[in-house]
Amino acid sequence: MKMEEDVYVSERIIKESQLKKFLRENLSTLSIFGVLLAVSLFFGIATGSFLSASNVTNLIIQVAPNVIVAVAMTFVITTGGIDLSVGSILALASALLATLLASGTSLIVAFLAVIAAGLAIGFVNGYVVAYHNIPPLISTLASLMYVRGLALLITGGYSVAIVGENWIIGMGQGRVLGVPFPVILAGFIAIIGVIALRYTRFGNYVTGIGANEESVRRTGVHTKKVKIMTYMLSGGAAALAGLIIAARLGSGSSNIGNMFEMDVIAAVVLGGTSLFGGAGTIIGSIFGVALIGVIKNGLTLMHVSPYIIQITEGLVLLLAVLINVKIFSNKK
Amino acid sequence: MEEHFQIEMRNIQKSYGNIRSLRGVDLQLKPGEVLGLVGDNGAGKSTLMKVLSGVVIPDEGEFYFEGKKVSIDSPRAAKDLSIETVFQDLSLCDTLSVANNMFLGREPVKFLGRLIDQKTLHAKSREHLDKLGIDISSTKLPVQNMSGGQRQAVAIARAMVFDPKVLILDEPTAALGVKEVNMVLELINNVKKKGVSVVLITHRLQDLFEVCDRIMVLNEGKCIDDRLIEQFTLDSLIKSIMGSPDKGVGVS
Ligand SMILES: Nc1ncnc2c1ncn2[C@@H]1O[C@H](COP(=O)(O)OP(=O)(O)O)[C@@H](O)[C@H]1O
Ligand SMILES: [Mg+2]
Repeated sequence: MKMEEDVYVSERIIKESQLKKFLRENLSTLSIFGVLLAVSLFFGIATGSFLSASNVTNLIIQVAPNVIVAVAMTFVITTGGIDLSVGSILALASALLATLLASGTSLIVAFLAVIAAGLAIGFVNGYVVAYHNIPPLISTLASLMYVRGLALLITGGYSVAIVGENWIIGMGQGRVLGVPFPVILAGFIAIIGVIALRYTRFGNYVTGIGANEESVRRTGVHTKKVKIMTYMLSGGAAALAGLIIAARLGSGSSNIGNMFEMDVIAAVVLGGTSLFGGAGTIIGSIFGVALIGVIKNGLTLMHVSPYIIQITEGLVLLLAVLINVKIFSNKK
Repeated sequence: MEEHFQIEMRNIQKSYGNIRSLRGVDLQLKPGEVLGLVGDNGAGKSTLMKVLSGVVIPDEGEFYFEGKKVSIDSPRAAKDLSIETVFQDLSLCDTLSVANNMFLGREPVKFLGRLIDQKTLHAKSREHLDKLGIDISSTKLPVQNMSGGQRQAVAIARAMVFDPKVLILDEPTAALGVKEVNMVLELINNVKKKGVSVVLITHRLQDLFEVCDRIMVLNEGKCIDDRLIEQFTLDSLIKSIMGSPDKGVGVS
């Protein structure tokens, strides 16, 4: 009996083993995974505590919000776009949640209001990009500023405590079968993301738009709508991440999430999603988030100055961009 | 007499800034008719066909499909009328696979439309490529690594997937070898027999004499000649393309 694969493959293709094929098709994802292992090993040896159960758990809880946003950001960048406003949306979500709860708003209303705010800002971002052809770098830079301003306006710059035990707090601090809830949520969103990008029409159009937007439009797809949806995804994801962080910390603040957008974008680019658009990988983005989280955490454990950590991060991003541009400009 | 036309365009006008690309062009196409559309570079051929594909919205003009007035105001509207196009620039997404390009916007789905039915997608793509005699090793390959001829073949296959009633081919043979060109001409003759109306834009004038029923010549955004193929010789066609059709003929 013939294998299913054989039906579609003519004799001109060099037969390669499944393993070899897997390696070739996933080269960039595997490389970042390799780097992640190597860096983890280094910190494991250099510090006594990096590989301890408590540190690893702590690290995973910390990167969960980044994973959530990075999954959404992968869609945005795969269309050839970018969203700089996610850090500000995260802060707004955290501030809005705490303020609403402090004013006695019911949990479900506060939750929905926070998510709706993220989606709405994402809609504005996407609308401006898709319908007015403003470069996403500029339009989301504007959002980065006004959304952070909104967050500051709401809280007056102070942090607002979230008191009591409730399911929103549980979203940040709870565990299910011993696994922290933010981690479960991030895992769930990651799986949905992988499926959506690779196996749905939406994912196809996202990739197609990044490769050749006009071609996708000519096939009758409403490309503007698809683009708006990607920014709504990143806005909604950022709001969810902000909510989880506020719940974990037990307070909302307009000052959190500074440079969060850079962490997320760096992770996506490191992971192998093309900055030119047209090729994205959710798994790669997750490895990217993990790598940046490990570097920050490991250097902190080594008592490296936070200034040096920021410099390191910047250099890692620069390196990632250089490699990314080199790989993907060759392919185009 | 309108009901004899598969598609009719009337008084199509389109300007880009101060360039008047189309200055009131009429075009009629009967079922099963193959029209050759020729003219110098910049004459407006591609623009006219983009208008018919719903890709470019004209400033002025009307469409009649099977005698009924229709509006073609989006690519979707043209597809709904079974107007399919091979664009001059091919319009492929480089990083998507052959199959995804062929079914872009019309992917077979499963699970209540949530997921693309990959198996059907690839099987159908393979079936169509085989039917057209196109030699592409795997429908899973991204089109970016393919030769110009293969890419052109994918674009042609895409236009054929959903049984067009009007097939527009804008320089479909530009990147093809002799064998493939003959394949395309054969394809045109085959679909013509099924009653498909075809518009063929090409600079290979000898091909026009092999497949066309009629030739229309555009010059600076205007139709300056429109005759049955029997009324053309290669010489008179060339004269017409140069902008001076034989005296006494002109627009029929
Ligand atoms: N998108 C566009 N923007 C500006 N000018 C255009 C555009 N598309 C076509 N034109 C102009 O319209 C004219 C006709 O172009 P085209 O239809 O491509 O000609 P052809 O296909 O006959 O070579 C040319 O002068 C071209 O420069
Ligand atoms: Mg042209």
